[in-house]
Amino acid sequence: MTDESVKKPQSTSDKLPGVVSVFTLGLGAIAVYTWREGMRKKTMIGFLVLSLLVIFGAWFLTAFLQTGGAQVDTELDTKLVKDICVTAISIFGVLITIFISASVVPGEVENRIIYTVLSKPVRRFQYLMGKFLGVQLIIIINLALMGGLFFVNLYIQEGILPTLLLWTIFLTYFEFLIVSAFTFAIGCAASSAVLPVIGGLFIYITGNLTEYLGDVARRAGQTEAFLDVAIGWLATGLYNVLPNLQNFSLRNQLLYLQPNDPPADAMIPQMVVYGLLYAAAGYVIGYIIFRRKEL
Amino acid sequence: MTQETLNEEPAAETQPLGEARTPDPDGRIPVIETYGLTKTYETKTEDVHALRDLNLTVYQGEIFGYLGPNGSGKTTTIKLLLGLIFPTDGSMAIMDSESIGSIHVRRNIGYLPEGAYYPDFLKGEEVLRFYGKLYGLRGRALERRIDEVLEMVGMTGARRRLVGGYSKGMRQRIGLAQAMISDPQILILDEPTTGLDPIARKEIRDVLVKLRDEGKTLLISSHELLEVEMICDRVGILHNGMLQTIGALDDLLVQRDITLEVEVPSESAVHELSRFGIISEDMVDGKALLRVPANVSLYEAIEQCQHNNVSLLSVRPRRETLEELFVRVVGAAEENKEINQV
Repeated sequence: MTDESVKKPQSTSDKLPGVVSVFTLGLGAIAVYTWREGMRKKTMIGFLVLSLLVIFGAWFLTAFLQTGGAQVDTELDTKLVKDICVTAISIFGVLITIFISASVVPGEVENRIIYTVLSKPVRRFQYLMGKFLGVQLIIIINLALMGGLFFVNLYIQEGILPTLLLWTIFLTYFEFLIVSAFTFAIGCAASSAVLPVIGGLFIYITGNLTEYLGDVARRAGQTEAFLDVAIGWLATGLYNVLPNLQNFSLRNQLLYLQPNDPPADAMIPQMVVYGLLYAAAGYVIGYIIFRRKEL
Repeated sequence: MTQETLNEEPAAETQPLGEARTPDPDGRIPVIETYGLTKTYETKTEDVHALRDLNLTVYQGEIFGYLGPNGSGKTTTIKLLLGLIFPTDGSMAIMDSESIGSIHVRRNIGYLPEGAYYPDFLKGEEVLRFYGKLYGLRGRALERRIDEVLEMVGMTGARRRLVGGYSKGMRQRIGLAQAMISDPQILILDEPTTGLDPIARKEIRDVLVKLRDEGKTLLISSHELLEVEMICDRVGILHNGMLQTIGALDDLLVQRDITLEVEVPSESAVHELSRFGIISEDMVDGKALLRVPANVSLYEAIEQCQHNNVSLLSVRPRRETLEELFVRVVGAAEENKEINQV
């Protein structure tokens, strides 16, 4: 080997920008890539198309009722449309949230893209943050599409801008954010998407039953039997740890109030903080799991 | 230079962090070093030793062939070097840093994993743009670099096609391009020529040699021993998680056998010679090459040729091929393992 060959040559890597720039550029690239990839997933497209069909179908249903010569009760029709659409957004929205959040990390381990990404100057924190932001982009776009169609539907029916629907969609996003963060955290530990999907469904269902858990916690322990006490402890633990997703629901207000009424008794800023704190906790748990994960 | 001693205590281990490594007595600068690197996976039934006490040094400006049968620990070593998994014991240093996961180190490494997937919905140039951004490249510098690496791997014409429509060879080329996107000092390539046709292999080989000539360091894990023999300066052979041998090809490939160049012999003569262990290897332009193994005396081989009316044209020592070395080393390791088990 000659002396020339051992000289450190100048290369592009010597001229690369600073750490902050690398961090933000990398973060953005991962987030956009995750979004682009996620929007092409067949499961996601399937759920989105179904939800849009249901929302669109509800519109047709009321139009049919009105033109079919039946006794028209406009208020009842509108309630029916609202009920169908809110249910469709909740069910399909949460399914999209869970399936996407569950699959982004295990999917990349499976197809080995993660090796090429994490061998670059990308921190695991940055990688996870990019993936998480990409997932949020997908959830927001889906919610916007579903909510947008519902909004137009309602506006045409009632002739009033349904601002209450916007608040409903806004709070629904924070509900999905919590479900997404914990599903994502489970996905960081799993080698396939199956376990995180189950975990995500568990969080969504129990999160919506938290009030009942509170009741169980209050009632249990009265007989002092072991099983009774154990159930009381479990219910108390779950009640204290799990998020109360019912707090994010404006469903009844949307059904019974005027479309342009402001949300009543809803502490929206507090709910946003509540959602962000739970989401942060979910993300941190995911990072702690992923930080030393062997790939 | 002689075959390097295995498992000796490396002197460089005590070198403080952050200082450039000093050249060894031969003037070589180590860029990848492992010291007693060990990786054990604990399972319910037993411990699986994926890598045991690996002491490896790769020097700046060389192509190092990292060889071994499937499951020998090659990919484990690479994953450890890249910080994708964590060692059970031992340590590593890349360039001047023992902090393997550091951004500085990773900025200087390009990695091509075996059988990697690249998103089907992206165009070739978009894949490179994505990976370039992970290095912090952007704007004109990134576009210029994309042009350069696409040119290097012969993919300029296919840059705007979706990766989903690429052949296996094209995917491999785009993989190599993403590994080179930041112009890294070290390239770690896992089976870089897999799936390529002979012409593409030659082109990629030329690229790798050019990179070496520019002062880059290449660690290539491969089963394509002929390719490795053509381009590598040094090789290490791994088996059962242990480094069995390491050194320059010229030192490792011993000249043990003899080649006799003769006029094309009759079939009966070939058959007769084979009874004495003399192997007919190749026939070109009316000449045949006979291999005389080390355990057959040259005197006897020549006598047998004369006896079978085979005209002798020349006698020359025969260098072992890398494939033969590989089989010999792995075979010996297997034998040792069996003896130890008995």
